[in-house]
Amino acid sequence: MSDHPTDFQGDVRAAIKDAICAKMPGARVEVTGGGGHYSIGVTSPAFSGMSMLASHRLVYAAIAHLMNGERPPVHAVDTLTTKAG
Amino acid sequence: MPLTDPQRADFDKLVRSDRIVLFMKGNRHFPACGFSATVVGILNELTPGYQTVNILEDQAVREGMKEFSSWPTFPQLYVNGQFVGGCDIVKSMYASGELQKLLGVEGERSGKSQEKELKRPAVTISAAAAKAFKDAATEGGNEVLRLEIDDQFQCDLHFGSKVPGDVEVTSGGVILHIARASVGRADGITIDFVSGPQGMGFKIDNPNEPPRVKTVGPKALRAMLDAGQIELFDVRPDSERARASIAQAKKLDADGEKYLFGLKKDAAIALHCHHGTRSRAAAEQLLREGFTNVYNLEGGIDAWSSEVDPSVPRY
Repeated sequence: MSDHPTDFQGDVRAAIKDAICAKMPGARVEVTGGGGHYSIGVTSPAFSGMSMLASHRLVYAAIAHLMNGERPPVHAVDTLTTKAG
Repeated sequence: MPLTDPQRADFDKLVRSDRIVLFMKGNRHFPACGFSATVVGILNELTPGYQTVNILEDQAVREGMKEFSSWPTFPQLYVNGQFVGGCDIVKSMYASGELQKLLGVEGERSGKSQEKELKRPAVTISAAAAKAFKDAATEGGNEVLRLEIDDQFQCDLHFGSKVPGDVEVTSGGVILHIARASVGRADGITIDFVSGPQGMGFKIDNPNEPPRVKTVGPKALRAMLDAGQIELFDVRPDSERARASIAQAKKLDADGEKYLFGLKKDAAIALHCHHGTRSRAAAEQLLREGFTNVYNLEGGIDAWSSEVDPSVPRY
């Protein structure tokens, strides 16, 4: 998979984790990947009773600022897993 | 940027323009990204009738749909005007049967798979491959050995969770789960474990794969010519042939073409030009004409001169 250049300074995986935890306190977040492509797993009681679509939307909303703009640090989320708990 | 009311109304019309609308990169025949290709593959299995919108062709649609769907990426699948999700969600719903229910195809198979009965594919796993799989499998896990073959015949062999619909085949004492959508492309494959330039690896031979142009280097080609195993044709015009030519090459003029098309379709045929570009295109054309054993001389007569016969002038 091709690399996606970005002007973002700092650890992208940590930024993703921090952003999700900020919007969803108490969530357990795992992030792997690099070069613009990341896989994210989020476990949170907030997902309980939520459809997969709504759960995914919540996570995407939390990291929207990392995916916007000309050369965003997060180009794609290859796998997103959300679990209630 | 938030959408204005008229923009929102336009997108609403767009997502309702058909019962099923897939906003994707590329189109169904040439998907431009793996995630879009995956969703197309799934839809092709379930229903022939769906609309696609290539968001690469229109930046306004691309940015607008992200706003409209509150979703940052493509593909985006809409059914009956409702956003269903992206690749992850579509895959999950396909595996669970929810997607079939939503599309109204549960219990029947429409689209491509209706045309053929699901025939259990014949798979041969060599002893070396079987041993390698057993060594790689983790004890007590829920993971099974799975194979997916996309419609470009790219193989994905991996350990993973069983997916509903997988077809199980056994060979060499190993159980292989073949993704349902891949079954038609898997009949007759052999899986071996061999050493290659990057170390040991799995090698899959698939007789269903359409023939591709084979690349051959000058030294290997010379060996094949000397052994009488292959016929070589020069695709260049007379002006270039006058400057430099390979003795064993036949000119591809009217007589040369008649001769070429008189050969059996599985005859070993090599083409060359100056550097290998024009001859590759000609080789692709021969495949389309039904020839199955076609080689392109890598680097053309230029490489031949460097590596095999310096008496051939370079130009």
